[in-house]
Amino acid sequence: MNNGFLEEKKHKREIQVRGFLRTFFSIGINFWNRIWRGNAPDFPLFIFASVTSALMGLPIIYVIWRSAFAGKDRWVRLLDTRIPTLLWSTLSLGVIVTIFALIIGVSLAWLVQRCNIPGRKAMQWLLALPLVIPPYVGAVTYIIILGPRGWIRDWFGSSPFNIYSFWGAAFVLTMFTYPYVFLITSAALKKMNRSFEEAARAQGLTSYEILWKVNLPLLRPAIGAGAILIFLYVLSDFGAIAMLRYNTFTSAIYYQMGSYDNLSATVLSMVLILVTLIVLWIEARTRKKQKYYQTTKSYKKPQLYQLGFWKVPVLLYMLAVFFLSVVLPITVLIYWSKLGIEAGALDQRFWAYGWNSIKVSGLAALACMVLALPIVYLKSRYKSYFTIFIDKLSYSGYALPGVIIALGMIFIFNQYIPWLYNTPTLLAIAYVIRFLPQSMQSADSSLNLISPSIDEAARSLGFAPLKVLFKVIIPLITPGVLAGGALVFVSAIKELPATLLLRPPGFDTLAVRIWVETSESVYHLAAPAALLIILVSIVPLKWMLSKY
Amino acid sequence: MYDIQLIGVSKTYTGSNEAAVKELSLNVERGSIVTLLGPSGCGKTTTLRLIAGFERANKGQIILAGKTVSDKNTWIPAEKRGIGMVFQDYALFPHLNVFDNIAFGYRESDKVKRVLEVLDLVGLNGYEKRYIHELSGGQQQRVALARALARRPAVVLLDEPFSNLDADLRVAMRLEVKRIIKEAGATAIFVSHDQKDALAISDQIVVMRKGIVQQIGTPREIYQYPENKFVASFVGQSNLIEGVIGNDLNTVVTSLGTIPCQHTHCLCEGEEVCISIRPDSLEMDENGHIEGTVIQFTYTGEAIDAVIALDQSDGTSQKLLVHIHPEENIKIGDHLRFKILPNFVAVVKNE
Amino acid sequence: MFKKKKITIMMLIAMLVVAFTACSTDTTQPQDQGDVAPNETKELVVYSTRNETFVQPLLDKFESETGIKVLALHGGDAVINKIKEEGRNVQADIVISNDIGALEHLRLEGFLQGYEPNGIEAIEERYIAEDMSWFALSARARVFMYNKDLITEEEMPKSILDLADEKWKGEFAITRGGNGSMIAHISALRNEWGDDKTLEWLDGVKENAGAITQGHGDVRRAVGAGEFKFGLVNNYYYHQQLREPNDNNVGVIYLDQAENEMGTVVNAAGVGFVKGAPNELNGQRFLDWILQPENQREFSYASLEVPINPAIEAVGEAAKISDFKVQSMPLRELGKVWADTRNLIERSGLDLEIR
Repeated sequence: MNNGFLEEKKHKREIQVRGFLRTFFSIGINFWNRIWRGNAPDFPLFIFASVTSALMGLPIIYVIWRSAFAGKDRWVRLLDTRIPTLLWSTLSLGVIVTIFALIIGVSLAWLVQRCNIPGRKAMQWLLALPLVIPPYVGAVTYIIILGPRGWIRDWFGSSPFNIYSFWGAAFVLTMFTYPYVFLITSAALKKMNRSFEEAARAQGLTSYEILWKVNLPLLRPAIGAGAILIFLYVLSDFGAIAMLRYNTFTSAIYYQMGSYDNLSATVLSMVLILVTLIVLWIEARTRKKQKYYQTTKSYKKPQLYQLGFWKVPVLLYMLAVFFLSVVLPITVLIYWSKLGIEAGALDQRFWAYGWNSIKVSGLAALACMVLALPIVYLKSRYKSYFTIFIDKLSYSGYALPGVIIALGMIFIFNQYIPWLYNTPTLLAIAYVIRFLPQSMQSADSSLNLISPSIDEAARSLGFAPLKVLFKVIIPLITPGVLAGGALVFVSAIKELPATLLLRPPGFDTLAVRIWVETSESVYHLAAPAALLIILVSIVPLKWMLSKY
Repeated sequence: MYDIQLIGVSKTYTGSNEAAVKELSLNVERGSIVTLLGPSGCGKTTTLRLIAGFERANKGQIILAGKTVSDKNTWIPAEKRGIGMVFQDYALFPHLNVFDNIAFGYRESDKVKRVLEVLDLVGLNGYEKRYIHELSGGQQQRVALARALARRPAVVLLDEPFSNLDADLRVAMRLEVKRIIKEAGATAIFVSHDQKDALAISDQIVVMRKGIVQQIGTPREIYQYPENKFVASFVGQSNLIEGVIGNDLNTVVTSLGTIPCQHTHCLCEGEEVCISIRPDSLEMDENGHIEGTVIQFTYTGEAIDAVIALDQSDGTSQKLLVHIHPEENIKIGDHLRFKILPNFVAVVKNE
Repeated sequence: MFKKKKITIMMLIAMLVVAFTACSTDTTQPQDQGDVAPNETKELVVYSTRNETFVQPLLDKFESETGIKVLALHGGDAVINKIKEEGRNVQADIVISNDIGALEHLRLEGFLQGYEPNGIEAIEERYIAEDMSWFALSARARVFMYNKDLITEEEMPKSILDLADEKWKGEFAITRGGNGSMIAHISALRNEWGDDKTLEWLDGVKENAGAITQGHGDVRRAVGAGEFKFGLVNNYYYHQQLREPNDNNVGVIYLDQAENEMGTVVNAAGVGFVKGAPNELNGQRFLDWILQPENQREFSYASLEVPINPAIEAVGEAAKISDFKVQSMPLRELGKVWADTRNLIERSGLDLEIR
C-alpha cells in the first residue's frame, strides 16, 4: 500500500520531470531556430566553427583578462612614465610611415595607370615586388648598407645617415610597405570609369584640375584603406623596428616579456589593443563610403596622359624607388649569401632550420585550410548574429600584433595545457591564430562565387547538409582553399615575434636565425636564410596581385 | 487525389514584421502544373521554399504525396522530401559533367539507363560528357530539368525557370518544359512573375500578393474573370471602370452605359463593383456606343495600343486603353467608336 | 575527377593528423615521474643567457661525446624569468648564466636543486652555491673598452661614476639595463652607494649614453668601428675585439683602481641545475662532464674569459683576477638583491631604452 503510494509519487514526479524537460527542450529549440531564422546549420559543423573561433580569440581575451589583474600600482606606474612615451613614439612613426607610403604608393599608381610610361605593364608588378621582402629582412639589408659599419662607411669613410633612428625605421618601413597602397590605388584607378574624366573635361577642367577634383576624391576610399593597412602594420611590426633599435608598443611588449615581466606586458598589450581597435573602427567607418567607385558596365579604358618633358624625371623617380626597395636589398643579400655559401653557410644546421620552418608552417597551413572552411561556410550560408560573431572573433589574432598572441599563448599553455607548451605544435597553433583569416578570405571569395542554390539543388537531390559540403562545396572551392593555404604558409615562414617567444629549445627556424645572426652582425649567415624566405614569398605574389 | 496540400500555412521571417506568406491553403492535383504568379515580394518564392523544405512554416501543415512533411510537430528536411527542383540560375554543379549532374543523388542500380532516359526526354542525347559551361542557356535549362526529374519525384518545383532565357528561346522552352513535365507525369509548381509564362504553361494559376492568395483558377478563368482589381491589372492589361450591379444580375451599370457581364460572382443588385475590360475586348465599330478621342497611340507591330479619352455625359474624364488592329490608320484627335465583346468583361470586387 | 578530389582531401586530413601527432611527440618529455628514480632519457634541455657562439660549440661537444641530444634555447636574459614562469611545468634541465646573481636568485626562489658533481673540488668554495645547485666556471671584470684612434689612455675616464658626467655625453655605448651583466653591475653599485645615488647615476647614464644596445656584442663592434670613443663591456669583449681582423685598435681601462676607490666589479658565468629537471640523469651527467678540466677550459676559452679554476691555464692575453682591484661585494650576495635591482632599473627606464 505504502509502497504503491510511493511508486505513484515517483511516477508522477517522473512525468513532471519529463514534461519539464520537454518544455525546456522545445523552448530551447524554438530559441535556437529563431536565432537562425528557421534555418539552423548542422550542429557538428556549428560546434566545430564555434570552437575554432573561440580558440582564435582566446589568447587575446586572456591577455585582456590578465591585464585587469596587473594591479593598480603597475597601471599607474606604466601610465605615468612608459605609456605616454610609447604612445608618442608609436603613433608618430605610424603617421610618418603612412604619409610617406601614401605619397609614394599613390603617385606611382597614378603614373603607372594613367601616364605614358615606357614599360607600364612591367612596372605594374615590378613596383609591387617589395611585397616579397619582409620588412625585417629589408632592415637587415639597410643595416648592412647604411649601418655604422656598413658599405657606405667603407666607401666614403662615414655614414651620412644614422639608420638606428626614427628616420631609419621610418625609411625602411616605408620602402617595404608602400606596395600595399600602390596595389590598392592601382586597382581603384583601373576600376574608375573614364567617363568621369571625360565628363570633367567636357566641363572644361584641365588635366591638373581633373587630378585634384576628380581622381583624388574618387580614390579617397582606396587611399584610406591603404593608409589603415600601413598604420596597422607599423603598430604590429616587431622585427624591423627592433633591428633598427627603435621602440614601439610592440617591441616594448617583447622586451617586457623578454624580461618575463608578463603582467606589465599585458598592460602595454591592453593599450595597444585599444589603439588597434580605434584604428579598425575608423577603417570600418571609411569602408562604408567606399562603394562609390563601383561603376557601371560601360567601362572604357582611360586615356593616357602624355608626359612629354616630364617623362625623364618621372622615370628616374620610379626607378629610384624600385632600386631602393628591390634592387639594392636583393643585391646586398646575394652578395652576403655568396660569401656565406663560400664559407659553408648551407650546412646541415641551415637545412635543419629550413626543415623546421617548413614543418611548422606547413602544419599551420594545413590546419588553416581545414579550420577555415566551417567558419566561412556558416558565415556565407547561415547568416546570423552567431556566425557574424564567430567570423569576427576569428579575426582577432590577425588584427593584433604577434607579440600579444604569443603572450596570451604562454599564459594559457604553460598553465593549463603544459603538454603542448614548448612544442613545435604550439608554434603552429600560434601561426593558425595569426593567419587563419588569410585562408578564410581566400576560401570565402571562392565560396561567394558559388550560388547558394547549388547547395539547395544538392539538398533537393537527397543530400544532407554535411554531405553537400563534402560532395559539392569542397570540390568546388578546393583551388581557393589551397591558395589560402599557400598564403598562410608564406606568412608563417616569415613570422618573427611569436616564433621568437614561443620556439621550443633546440628548435630554431629560418626567421629566428635571421634575427639572431643579424643581432650578432653575422650577415653571411643571415643572408642565405633571408634570400630563401624571399624566394618562397614570390609564390603567393601572383595571388596578391590579383587580389588588389 | 492531391499530390501537394497546403493547409493554413503562414511564414514570417525573423526580423520582419510582415508575414511573407499568410494563411495559405492550396491543393494541387496529381499530374497538374500550377503556377504561383505575382510581383516580387508577393510570397510566391517563399511558398515554393516552404514546400521544398528550405524554410520552415510558423503555422500550418504541408502534405506531399499524402505524407505530412511540415506541421507544428513534424519537420522533414529538404533532402528527405523526394522533390525535384529547378532553380532560377539552374544551380548545375560546375565540377561535374552533364551525366554526373543528372546522376547526382540517383541511387538506384539502373543509373546509366535512367540518365540516358531523361536525357532523351529533354532531347539532349549525346551531351552526357559535356561540362556545364560548354552548354547554351536553353541546354542548361534542359539539364536542370533532367536532373530534377531523374529521381522520378512526385513533385517538381521550378523557381522562375525562364527568367534567364532570352525572348525567343523562352517561348520555345515554355512548350518544351510543359511537354517534358507532362510526359514525366510529375506534379509541378512553377514560380513566375511573368503572366505569359504562367498562362502558357499552367493548368492552374495561383495569383498572390503580399503573402495572400488573390485568386486560384485556370489560365482562362484568371484572364477572363479576374476576381479583383489586382488580378485584373497584374494578369494582362485592363481598364477598370466603377459601376453598380444591374437589376437582372447579369449587367453592370457604369458611366459607359449598362454592360452585359456573364460572370458576376453572385453579387446582389445595386452592389458597387468594378468591371475589368481587356483592351482586346473593345472593338472598333461605327455603331458602338462607346465614343472617344485618340489622345495617344503606340504602334507595336502586332497592334496599335491607343489611349482613348471618352466623351462622358457627366463631364468626368475617363480614359480607356484599347488594342486596334494594326491595319487601321489612326491619328491623334481621331474620333472613334467602340463596342464591347462581353466575354472579356469581368466583374471585379470593389475593395 | 570528383573522386580524386575527395581522396586529396582525405589525404590532407590524414597528413594533418599525422603531422600533429608527430610534432607533439617530437619533444615530449616525461614529466610526471614524481619521486621515482629518474628515467633514462636521450635529451638534455639547456637554457642559456650567454651568447650562442660561446655556448653552442660546447654543447655540440657534449652531444657528440655522450650521444645525448642537446636542445638549447639561447634566449638571452629572458631565460631566468622563463624558468621562474615554468616552475609548475619545468622544461629546462640546465641553466647557463652570465651572471652568478641570477643563478643565486633562482636558487633562493627554489628553482634549483643541489647535486654534487664529480670534480667540484676544483672550484673554490665561494664560487659554489651553498647547496651546490650552481657553480661558477669563468670570471670577467667590467671594463671600459676604448678606441685608440679617438682617445688616448690618459684622456679616458677611469671611474664608473664618470658615465653620469655630462662631459661624456654621446661619447660612449652601453647595453640596456635588462642585460644580465648590467644587472649584476648595478647591484654592486647599489651595495656601494645605496639606491638614491644609484638611481641618480642611472638617470645620468641614460641621458649621456650615445647608444644603448641589446647586447655587448654591439657595444664592442661600435667602439671598434669608431662610432663611439668607448663603451662599458666585460673584459673578454676587449680581448675578442683585439682578435678581429679590422677595427681592432682598442684599449682597456679597469675601473676605479685608485687607492681609495672601490675597484672594478667582477662577475662570473656558471651553470645551474634546475629543480624538477625532466632529464635529471642527463643533467647530472652534464654537470660531471663540464667539470672535466678540458671542458672547463672550453667554457672560458670560447669567450676568452678567465677560468675560475686556477689549475686551468688562462688564454694568453686575458688579465688574471689577481691583476686588478676587485669590488668587495661577494658574488653570491647578488642573488638576494637581484629582483630589487631590476625594479630599480625599471624605475629608471633603462631596461627598455634602446637607441
